[in-house]
Amino acid sequence: MSLTAMAWRYLRFRWFVSLLTLFGIAIGVALVSAVLALRHQSEQAFSKDAVLYDLVAGGKGSPLQLILSSVYHLDSPTGNLPYSDYQRFQHDSRVLWSAPIGLGDNYKGYRIVGTEVHFFDLPDQDGKPFFQLARGRIFEDTFEVVIGSQVASSTSLDLDDVFFGTHGLVEVPGAEIHRDFPYRVSGVLAPTGTAQDRAIFGTLSSVWEIHESEDRLHSAILGSAVLESRQKREATAILFRLKTPGLRLWMADEIRNSTQGIATVPVNEILRFQRSIIDPLQRILLSISAAVIVVAFLTVFLTLYQAAERRRQDIAILRALGALRSEIAFLVFFEGLMLAAIGIILGLLLGHGGLALGSETLYAKTGFLVHPWEISKTESFALLAMGLCGAIASLFPAITSYRRTPILDLQLNE
Amino acid sequence: MIRLNKVSLRLGNASRSSSVQFDLPNFEAAQGEKVALIGPSGCGKSTLLNLVAGLYRADAGKIQVAGSNLPTLTPAQLDRHRGAHCGMVFQTFRLLTPFTAVENVAIGLRFGSRKGMDVQTKAREVLRRVGLSNRLHARPNQLSVGERQRVAIARAIAGGPSILLADEPTGSLDPKTGREIFRLLLEIAEADNCTLLMVTHDLTLASELPNRFDCSKLVKTNKNEDGKEANSA
Repeated sequence: MSLTAMAWRYLRFRWFVSLLTLFGIAIGVALVSAVLALRHQSEQAFSKDAVLYDLVAGGKGSPLQLILSSVYHLDSPTGNLPYSDYQRFQHDSRVLWSAPIGLGDNYKGYRIVGTEVHFFDLPDQDGKPFFQLARGRIFEDTFEVVIGSQVASSTSLDLDDVFFGTHGLVEVPGAEIHRDFPYRVSGVLAPTGTAQDRAIFGTLSSVWEIHESEDRLHSAILGSAVLESRQKREATAILFRLKTPGLRLWMADEIRNSTQGIATVPVNEILRFQRSIIDPLQRILLSISAAVIVVAFLTVFLTLYQAAERRRQDIAILRALGALRSEIAFLVFFEGLMLAAIGIILGLLLGHGGLALGSETLYAKTGFLVHPWEISKTESFALLAMGLCGAIASLFPAITSYRRTPILDLQLNE
Repeated sequence: MIRLNKVSLRLGNASRSSSVQFDLPNFEAAQGEKVALIGPSGCGKSTLLNLVAGLYRADAGKIQVAGSNLPTLTPAQLDRHRGAHCGMVFQTFRLLTPFTAVENVAIGLRFGSRKGMDVQTKAREVLRRVGLSNRLHARPNQLSVGERQRVAIARAIAGGPSILLADEPTGSLDPKTGREIFRLLLEIAEADNCTLLMVTHDLTLASELPNRFDCSKLVKTNKNEDGKEANSA
């Protein structure tokens, strides 16, 4: 029987204590793994969306709110800009690509984003088209829409399906449904792994038409005059890709000075958001997880130490049978190492399994696509560090067993 | 085979004057000799046994066991020497509780530097020899006390040691079982031509061994500061 098999047998022999210790380690590791994986992937996902556009212009208000509403389809918009502002900057020599967006309605909680056909010409970081059609075509008529992959999978909408938009950006019971303006699906986008998968893209003119008809109705009821619709046409935000990122601040300043709105750089805003809100929260979570792990490995230490104390006679017998001090130390050390290794593997499965279970809901709610089984470099280092903690926790009882004098523990009777 | 000459050993806490001094002028046992170590409790019988096993290191003197001078061996060499040449049997059996009978014997074989041996086959064979062929996979708590001592004997003899050191092997057994165990130990020692050193308080059993060594004058108890006798070894 090998020393490793003996160590395993001793662990199994005191199965309840071993199980409790494993549970402690697994919970700590699961917490750390989940937090680190979420942190890594949220950073990736946030930056994946944030780098889509160099600049976003919108109505006056919070820059973060502007980014969240126009890039991540999460918050309320800050306000509108005249469509003429878009027309003015559209042909600026610094602009590589730009598109206006108009918000106002949703379908089952998915925002209907009014834009223009060339929105889909948006290049990715390598200059290739960012959007790919899974099936169908880009919209051509006013009330045709192209739906994101997440919208398609969760609403079961498909090509040529017809639906009605609901007023507002979130699904609210009793909200007004625009039954006079049916949308027809002309295309379904391939998954992008960004918040764009949760959007329904239609024409900006459809957004205008629906809301101008509402205005006309309200004006008729109130008896007030209706403004010339073309004069008041607006965009919720204008998205820009510039020829070089170095032009961002210059262009942002210019937009701020020459319009009634604001312009902000998504990457900067998201970084600020992460540093001011997300990072401190993650630090708190990581601190709690680290405390759990410290307690877990202290338990490993205590379990092994107590086990070695209780097994003093067994250890003495093994020595009497000819076992070397180093073999005894290895036996105790390996027991601890096995506990730590199994605990870490269980924790890893628990943490990432939990992410896998929650990933679909997370994607449906936020469009944040989690790859639950992906292990980042930071997480690998953390796991390695935890393994090292396990080894250190096992080392002390092993050293104690190494130093033990067998004759004292045998307590031979005379 | 075993020769101890002018061996001395101080046991206990010397600084608190509660130590005992073990002095053995001379002890010899030839190959295959069977010796009963007798004497009152605390007289040094087990100490002598443990000196032969190399579990105690003498402060002075020569201890020749199976061709090696024990005081000159390193701790690791001592452990391996013990595993290779000495089989130990204890009063309270000292079986490893998580392991079955056959595993207890196999573990005994593992540490004896007996390379190339089919440990499992040997362990089964030895258990059959002590009459436990039907209890191979029983754990210590499933065995009777007599069976436990048989497993302990199997473990001690499995590696084919040249010396059997038995410390009151019948001390925890009823007289009938004790006699059976004593007979078994003796038969095995005779069959394998082992040197047997057996500590016992049972003078009837001791009288059945060809040689007896009286240990009653090996230990001197030091007086502590109050002039009272300190604890014996």
